[in-house]
Amino acid sequence: MRMNRALAGCAITGPLKNSVPDFDAIASSLLYQTTALGMKTEAHEDCSGNGALSFEFRTPHTTPVVCEVTPWDDISGQASVTENVMQAACGLMSVHGRADGKSRPLGLNYVSTLTAALALQGGVAASIGQLRGLSVSNSTVSMASAALLSVGQYIAGATASESPETPETLFPDPISRSACLPFVSLDGVIFELETLDAGPWQKFWAEIGISSAGAGKGWKAFLLRYAKAISPLPAELPGAISRLTYHRISQICARTGIAICPIRSIDDRAQDDDSRHVWRQGPWEFLFESNRSGRGSSRATGDLPLSGLTVVESCRRIQGPLAGHLLSLLGAEVIRIEPPGGDPLRGMPPMAEGCSARFDALNRYKAVREIDIKSSAGQAEIKELAEHADVFLHNWAPGKAVLLNLDHEALTAINPSLVYAYAGGWATDSAAHVSSSSMPGTDFMAQAYSGVAKKIAEASGIRGSLFTVLDVLGGVVAAQGITIALLNRCMNNVGAKVTSSLMSSATLLCADDFRNIYNLPSPGSKTSTSETSTSLISTIYVTKQGKIAVECPDFKTSLRLSEALDAAIEVEEEGFPHSLSDLFLSRTADEWARIFEQAQIPAAVVVEDLSDLQTIAYLQPNLSPGPYTKVNSPWRFK
Amino acid sequence: MPITVSIPTILRPLTNNQKRIEIDGFNVLEAIEQMEQQYPGVKEKLITGGEARRFINIYVNDDDIRFSNGLSTRLNDGDSLTILPAVAGGGG
Repeated sequence: MRMNRALAGCAITGPLKNSVPDFDAIASSLLYQTTALGMKTEAHEDCSGNGALSFEFRTPHTTPVVCEVTPWDDISGQASVTENVMQAACGLMSVHGRADGKSRPLGLNYVSTLTAALALQGGVAASIGQLRGLSVSNSTVSMASAALLSVGQYIAGATASESPETPETLFPDPISRSACLPFVSLDGVIFELETLDAGPWQKFWAEIGISSAGAGKGWKAFLLRYAKAISPLPAELPGAISRLTYHRISQICARTGIAICPIRSIDDRAQDDDSRHVWRQGPWEFLFESNRSGRGSSRATGDLPLSGLTVVESCRRIQGPLAGHLLSLLGAEVIRIEPPGGDPLRGMPPMAEGCSARFDALNRYKAVREIDIKSSAGQAEIKELAEHADVFLHNWAPGKAVLLNLDHEALTAINPSLVYAYAGGWATDSAAHVSSSSMPGTDFMAQAYSGVAKKIAEASGIRGSLFTVLDVLGGVVAAQGITIALLNRCMNNVGAKVTSSLMSSATLLCADDFRNIYNLPSPGSKTSTSETSTSLISTIYVTKQGKIAVECPDFKTSLRLSEALDAAIEVEEEGFPHSLSDLFLSRTADEWARIFEQAQIPAAVVVEDLSDLQTIAYLQPNLSPGPYTKVNSPWRFK
Repeated sequence: MPITVSIPTILRPLTNNQKRIEIDGFNVLEAIEQMEQQYPGVKEKLITGGEARRFINIYVNDDDIRFSNGLSTRLNDGDSLTILPAVAGGGG
């Protein structure tokens, strides 16, 4: 039974249409998600005045769960925050800006979208906890916890005990910063190239006239994108590309086996056949079993809502492993299937106590079973695991599950109550867009195709982001979809298939843009939040020591900023934000942050070295020291 | 002067936990064969079907061997051989 209204019968109550401005984008994303899930929305005025967004999540079978969204987990953090301030304070601006050596905002409501997804998942998980015998009535998520989660791998790399990545090691050559991706053709088309193998890469550059040695250096740089958000390509590569038309480059790609995708706009994406359907459906597709299975809600075996549930995960790279990691943070026992000899990424530097810090950041709580999934013995072993599991999660390439006889049909035949989850690149349903599904479903291809890359480029003044924007959001969305299917199973005793993808996550991230393009009414938020910032001032200033991100959402805040800086120029004058630059040089970023806190001006020191995060007092509840700095669970239940 | 090989953590159980070893070899394959003699099991981790495994990158000095002569890439005294797992991201 295909039914995307997975939470029909459930309701959400809160100030979602009249939230305080800091939480507008979160409220908007919550409304979009809950509407897609078929939930009833009851909006009321915000009377709390406590600087948090609080809503109730209700099901017909549980007592209401109070879900709170706060800026920070520590009350000593800046009281007034914005999306950009949070990106500055938690290191996102630094990661996004690495490719060209300058911290800058993403230009998307990224932290807000992540926070909304995690907050809703907290309510869903707490309700599962109640149905499994726990007395959980409150779930709290902070924007800071969501932001830090998104850069958890990069923090691990920056704080690893062996050869941590520092700004100096990430930017060894200032000249290479200019040669950043994506590529630009002679006729001005901006595009991404993708291959996961060195062979096609080598052939492609050979046809363009680049020496094998040059292509080799480029390959090394190309591989750094996913791990380090940089790609210091030798200048001769983009130089050679820039002498060819896009059509000619496409022909060479076709011959050599490289995937190519132009950077499209969200308008382009909105015209795709499947686009409106994906937007209406939300980032998950649910297929519920029609027969009741008899395995509804087992008793929780610990304090966390999913404790005692088993997840079998066969995923590589980022999106799928992050989904499994989030389920483990909710208490599930996650069994990770790795190839014989272990996942090679365990050895990816920098290391911490014998394991890649970056790998451990996503997999540290999982049990590992080494299985050769290509062998019939291995497939039998996986079936045996799936028979007793609650969730099976994979991110294999399209079609591989059927080939391995480990598809939804095969596994639900032996375990009808199973939640079978697929966290893919493109396919949110079987009618996936043909031209996109033939390309590798990697983050940067999905960013290019979905319109996200172009939106980032337009907002941040560079060509795109090498931060794994969609891998991280896709992992959160996959875990959220699985948790929703588990709640449905607790209530209705039915198993499910859940499909999510990088592309569907891109639609979630830009949901307001699609609504505007389709000219559909907003379900409630008072303003459209498709723009990250409509503020009078949203700027990064260089200070005597360090940089500070400042945001003035309205005229009154701008006046307070003018007073705090003792500025001679009037707020109304053109060029006011720019004219303040020199004034910031009289104090350090830390000093300004304290002054602006007093003046209630949203601001934060821009964290440029991720290893500094562990020294910031108000982020301590979110981080755990050790062989590398770990980002803690974003959820607090009570 | 022999070749210096940087051993990734994942292979160190096979090399008595040594981070670096010194080995002789005319080319990369010969160096790996030499390593196999001293530290059995290493070759199987690095090579399959006569080629370097897909998810393993082998560099001579700073150059990926796939972009010179693969396992036949010539080694000179004093060269460094670095073995690293490949990195990739994405979903599907």
